[in-house]
Amino acid sequence: MTPPPSTDPPVPGMSPAPGTSPVPGSPLAGVPDGHGPVSSSPPQGRKPEAGGRSRVGGPVRGRWLRGGGSPDPGPSRAGRFGWVRRLGASGVGGVVIVAGMVVLAVVGPLVWGEAAGRIDAAAILQGASPEHPLGTDNLGRDLLARVLVAGRYSLLLALAATLVGAVAGVVLGTLPSVLPRRAARLVTATVNALVAFPGLLLAMFTAVVTGLGARGAVLGIGAAIAPGFARLTQTLAARVAGADYVAAARMLGVPRRRILTRHVLPNIAEPLILNLAQAFGGALLGLAGMSFLGLGVQPPQYDWGRLLFDGFPRIYVTPEVALGPAAAIALAGIGFNLLGDALARAAARTSATGAPAPAPAAAPPGEPDPGAVLEVRDLTVAFPGGLTPVREVSLSVAPGEIVGLVGESGSGKSLTAAAIGGLVPYPGTVTYGALRLGGRDVATLSDRELGTALAMVFQDPLAALNPALKVGGQLAEVAVVHEGASRAEARRRAVDRLGHVHLPEPERLAGRHPHELSGGMRQRAVIAMGLMGTPRLIVADEPTTALDVTVQRQILRLLREVVDETGAATLFISHDIAVVGELCDRVVVMYAGRVVEELPAGRLAGGAAHPYTKALIASLPDLDTDRERPLAGIPGAQPGPADVGPGCAFAPRCALATARCESDRPELAARGAGQRVACWEA
Amino acid sequence: MIIRNLSVRYGRFTAVDDVTLEIPDGRIVGLVGESGSGKSSLARAVCGLVPHTGTVEGARRTQMVFQDPYASLNPRMTVARTIAEGAGPGEVERLLGLVRLPAELAGRYPRELSGGQRQRVAIARALGGDPGLLVADEITSALDVSVQAAVLNLIRGLRDELGLTMLFISHNLAVVRYVADVVAVMHRGRLVEAGPAEQVVGEPAHEYTRALLAAVPRLRG
Amino acid sequence: MGARAGVRRVVRFLVSLVVLMVASFAMVHLIPGDPVRTSLGPAAPVELVAARRAALGLDRPLPEQLFTYATHVLSGNFGTSFLTGEPVGDVILTRLPNTLALALLATALALLVAVPLGMWTAVRTENGRNRGTDLAFSAATGAAVALPEFLYAIGLVAVLAIGLGWFPPAGMAGPATYVLPVVALAIGPAAMIARITRVETLRELGKDYVRLARAKRLPAGRLHLRHVLPNTLTATLTVGGLLLTSLIAGGVLVEYVFAWPGLGLKIVESITQKDYPVAQGVILVYGAIVLVVNLAVDLALGALDPTSAIKEA
Repeated sequence: MTPPPSTDPPVPGMSPAPGTSPVPGSPLAGVPDGHGPVSSSPPQGRKPEAGGRSRVGGPVRGRWLRGGGSPDPGPSRAGRFGWVRRLGASGVGGVVIVAGMVVLAVVGPLVWGEAAGRIDAAAILQGASPEHPLGTDNLGRDLLARVLVAGRYSLLLALAATLVGAVAGVVLGTLPSVLPRRAARLVTATVNALVAFPGLLLAMFTAVVTGLGARGAVLGIGAAIAPGFARLTQTLAARVAGADYVAAARMLGVPRRRILTRHVLPNIAEPLILNLAQAFGGALLGLAGMSFLGLGVQPPQYDWGRLLFDGFPRIYVTPEVALGPAAAIALAGIGFNLLGDALARAAARTSATGAPAPAPAAAPPGEPDPGAVLEVRDLTVAFPGGLTPVREVSLSVAPGEIVGLVGESGSGKSLTAAAIGGLVPYPGTVTYGALRLGGRDVATLSDRELGTALAMVFQDPLAALNPALKVGGQLAEVAVVHEGASRAEARRRAVDRLGHVHLPEPERLAGRHPHELSGGMRQRAVIAMGLMGTPRLIVADEPTTALDVTVQRQILRLLREVVDETGAATLFISHDIAVVGELCDRVVVMYAGRVVEELPAGRLAGGAAHPYTKALIASLPDLDTDRERPLAGIPGAQPGPADVGPGCAFAPRCALATARCESDRPELAARGAGQRVACWEA
Repeated sequence: MIIRNLSVRYGRFTAVDDVTLEIPDGRIVGLVGESGSGKSSLARAVCGLVPHTGTVEGARRTQMVFQDPYASLNPRMTVARTIAEGAGPGEVERLLGLVRLPAELAGRYPRELSGGQRQRVAIARALGGDPGLLVADEITSALDVSVQAAVLNLIRGLRDELGLTMLFISHNLAVVRYVADVVAVMHRGRLVEAGPAEQVVGEPAHEYTRALLAAVPRLRG
Repeated sequence: MGARAGVRRVVRFLVSLVVLMVASFAMVHLIPGDPVRTSLGPAAPVELVAARRAALGLDRPLPEQLFTYATHVLSGNFGTSFLTGEPVGDVILTRLPNTLALALLATALALLVAVPLGMWTAVRTENGRNRGTDLAFSAATGAAVALPEFLYAIGLVAVLAIGLGWFPPAGMAGPATYVLPVVALAIGPAAMIARITRVETLRELGKDYVRLARAKRLPAGRLHLRHVLPNTLTATLTVGGLLLTSLIAGGVLVEYVFAWPGLGLKIVESITQKDYPVAQGVILVYGAIVLVVNLAVDLALGALDPTSAIKEA
């Protein structure tokens, strides 16, 4: 059974604040994928070949005793500091409630112990009164005092149950890694079976065996908690044991025990400890439930559940007698749940975003360029906190032209593409002097017009196709939605388009799900989807990066063919300057959010003028590179979107840089036909 | 050292099929192939990380550098502790120098480093294990081009300085050609061609090598 | 799920069923001392205890007892109650439908409320917009998840039944008596499902196929219902299945509060009164229901999720 997913949302949008992310480039390197911290995935480049990272969500909140399945921690990236700040308001609330509970547990019996035990024959089974705000029990004892005193016992029992459960769980969870294979599988299977059982059922089973009473309830609730912990330990240990750094340590000959203490335990201890808070809350509620059913604590001892058990039959006459213990249980449940929630979240979170920055004023639009299908002038994308990953980008694409947008991660190229497609995620703001498609402002185009005129292709074709829907249906959709085509007609066209991109047996393929296709076939299907309408603009964002070179070659050929045939303007985004140079007509080079050079693709090898473009080309080994000489490389790193100074952003890494470069930013200036360069020294 | 008749099977699937490959002392052997060619499985088998049949002879100690610099360092250990694990604490500064990292980085945690720096730390850690063979599995594919260049230069520098023997694995033929002395081509689990780098690139003998060469993108002009 | 995986799953179910039966058999034997003596109390005459033991077959060797137990259970004979002498099978048959009715109604209610709520919140709060909605949702579902069902039950009884007199406070007689128990049972799971649906929806909304659908300018309704919803169902259904099983357990407490004539009330009584045959039978039935539900969920997931065949391999 697949583990239930997290109830803890991945940190949405752009989390890492400037300066906290040492990732080359910036967190805004690409369009955020919403999959948590950007630093956890390679910036560009291919999918890891062997065993990609699977993102499993955070722990399932609470409900240990409802058989809520395996609590499964997200990747932990907690720092060494800032816990309290990162707990958030609800977390602080949880801390306050829990602290209050602990104080009550310590002082309660000392302060009210005597009042709670005082028998008063004259005040039996009373309702609320000034002397007894919550009434009295069948021996005339004050219920408020008893609720306050019962805190200690309730918490102690919960603590005991949590410890029993956690210890048993961790042992069970560790066993498979030390036992021989068959025994290990047996343990794993048992744990998996037990996890699916509601905790209360396990607790009752134990209660039957051990008899009524606190001991039975604690063991029972402990037994109920254990499978969850076992599963958690197992998952965590398996994940860490499979990590590359453990493999590296093994190869270095680090002894098994040291690997366990230095690599495995530290990386699984934190999520385990964090889950204790939640398990504790669950244990408390579970014990309260057992006592409430009369199966737990027996007189003369009492916990909150037992008080509720005693008060419940009187609810018809004096409901307030049930109020005290019920409120205490509720408060404790909420307190521990809030705390557990906040701890788990803090462990998974990086940091918060800053305040929104005012959007820069846009330049006047000017006259449309009649020769361009796509015309972009002064496009800026900004995010709250003064992050401006795309700055005043201008470019145009003529019909049938393929313009390459090239840059390293963090250059803003993907976000430029997203802005053109209208796909910049909240809270990003897009401003522009002009953003015209076919001479008209995109803001004035209807969804229908845009939906049929714009085709987009993304890096990972598997992610770009809906896994739940058949390929043919996904293609047909555009025609059905935007052109009112009938299902049959739309499907016929979908099959036709699939054939058009040279997919074999398009009729059969249309009935397949995306996962049944190879990577190259999927990317063809995505391109075919763009051909369902009449594409005037194709935006392809790293469409071949995830593919093998031989497949890349085929897809590039297909793209060229499609562009020639449809006359669509095409913007081709890539980090690979060789691919861009081969496919494109013109190349636009971006660095730190700005265009630094624009030139015909044929001139890349010999005529590039900007030092960055030159360095990029020199860095890239090709089949003719002199093997005796070192590659050029570029020292330093690209500045993040918040760290760009007033001068040329490349100046700190540039061999030609002067004082002027540091202080004044060069504008793009024409240099010969079809070339523009932003550099003082080139 | 020599890899002899090495096969890796996962259930019924054969990832590496009877590969024999010699890795001359002090040389870099580049292994190129597409996804699913079995090159990473071969790497892991050579390092003893996956069960396999066949033998790896003459490899004194094998160390590995992994593809993903964000997953290959223990997030809870400083650079110094990471490197010291194989080499001992006295060697940290020397090893950092070998991979051209400033000694100040010793106290940092992986999360405070860039991808290129992490990869250098991983190389330093591997060097600390005094490897007879260093296996580098797609170590630059997660890096930007300008960072990749520096890492490639480092790799070649290490071979020249330390006489390092290395199995360098990549999907990028141009990269492999640049760093490697010998190029081996894998396709569907089999080794289809191996020879001196210039010879394999200049006069490819196998049809698949030719297809691979033809697919490498090139700047015009 | 391919046919092979399906068969494997069914085999696993059957094995679990056997293990469950052995466990329920072992339960009585694990009770320290003599269960009959424990049940009847120290004052019971020795002859009565001996007669009981003989009637239960407790004087036979263990393997023989297990075999007898298994054959009896398979033929629907769960023994007779220590207290009333009623056949346990009859008790279960009369009470099981009442328990199932509660659990199924509560699951349906929870899903109907939670899935739309979770999706709506996800769409509204995507990428951190509408912080107010986000906070309200988190606070409300957080509190709802944190409270146990018996507190809801008591609260509902106190306010809606005793205070306002809108619903009967207890018992099972007519549709009105179902309202409070079903609601009390559904609140927690609904909050849980809503949270999971939200997280799953947010996850899907961040994927490229959604970006592509947005680039195609598909209408929002179509995007969310046709593209996103099916991809969140796997997780929702998994959790929904787990919750159904946990609802059956939570039903014990709710049945107790509402004096609902279901299995839950019976098991509490039987444990309190040390009526072991009844406790044994009811726990066996509860366990079997859990196994059946899990099996059904897994098979349904296999049928629904086109990629599960690959995951399985």
